[in-house]
Amino acid sequence: MKEGVIFTLFLIVLTSICDTVNQLFLKSAINTLSSPSGNILNILKFILKLVLIPRVWISLLFSITSLCIWLFVLSRADLSFAFSADSMHYIFIAIASRFVLKEKVGLKRWIGIIFIVIGIAVISFS
Amino acid sequence: MLKKKLTIKIILFLIFSDILETLIHLCFKKGVSSYSYQQVSTLADLLAFFTGVFSSPFLWLGLLLVFLTFIVWSTILSKIDLSVAVPIASFSYILVPFTSALILHETVSWLRWSGVFFILVGVIFVSLSTREKEAHL
Repeated sequence: MKEGVIFTLFLIVLTSICDTVNQLFLKSAINTLSSPSGNILNILKFILKLVLIPRVWISLLFSITSLCIWLFVLSRADLSFAFSADSMHYIFIAIASRFVLKEKVGLKRWIGIIFIVIGIAVISFS
Repeated sequence: MLKKKLTIKIILFLIFSDILETLIHLCFKKGVSSYSYQQVSTLADLLAFFTGVFSSPFLWLGLLLVFLTFIVWSTILSKIDLSVAVPIASFSYILVPFTSALILHETVSWLRWSGVFFILVGVIFVSLSTREKEAHL
């Protein structure tokens, strides 16, 4: 692996972590509300209630940070490499869901995570 | 409540979301293409980089597509389960390298394709297991 690849991977790890934090804040904010039923009006009311929660704004802040890092990554890496490597957010989200949100992570999900890790390793050497 | 019925309309929506997802990243890549490998060593450089990138019309087109994707996904998820939607939507993991080669003229080696294959299998496994969780609800 060239040094450039390691730096790019590091940045992708960073954007994935920002993405994960963003999702965690969003999910924990959404968990405080009851999920809306089908019709548009209820969904709009739900979104309105949601944007009033401060945690959603923290989530937005992280999503903007993630976007900025992502754009920087794209300026120095192939899209075919960066987009595939970005799948590592599945790993971080699964781990964070397990330990922060205390969700159950089943065997199939861990197998999936191992496949993603192998895939990222392979594309990093390509 | 399990929503499992995959109608033609939903499949078309899913294909549409795959294409949108691919277009978003192509737009982002196009948006930063004039700043490729630009030397960034100071904070001022970084600021110049982002001012440049955020004034690119491609970037804003990409952001518009992000918003559109959000609406399309909300519609999809109101009709079918996430565990059904994600494996079909992860088709973009193939579509992105494919269009990168075709439109951006990137070289995608067989080794990279095999990595993409592993990731695809992994993503499908990760999303399939959400079924176990839904069974408890």
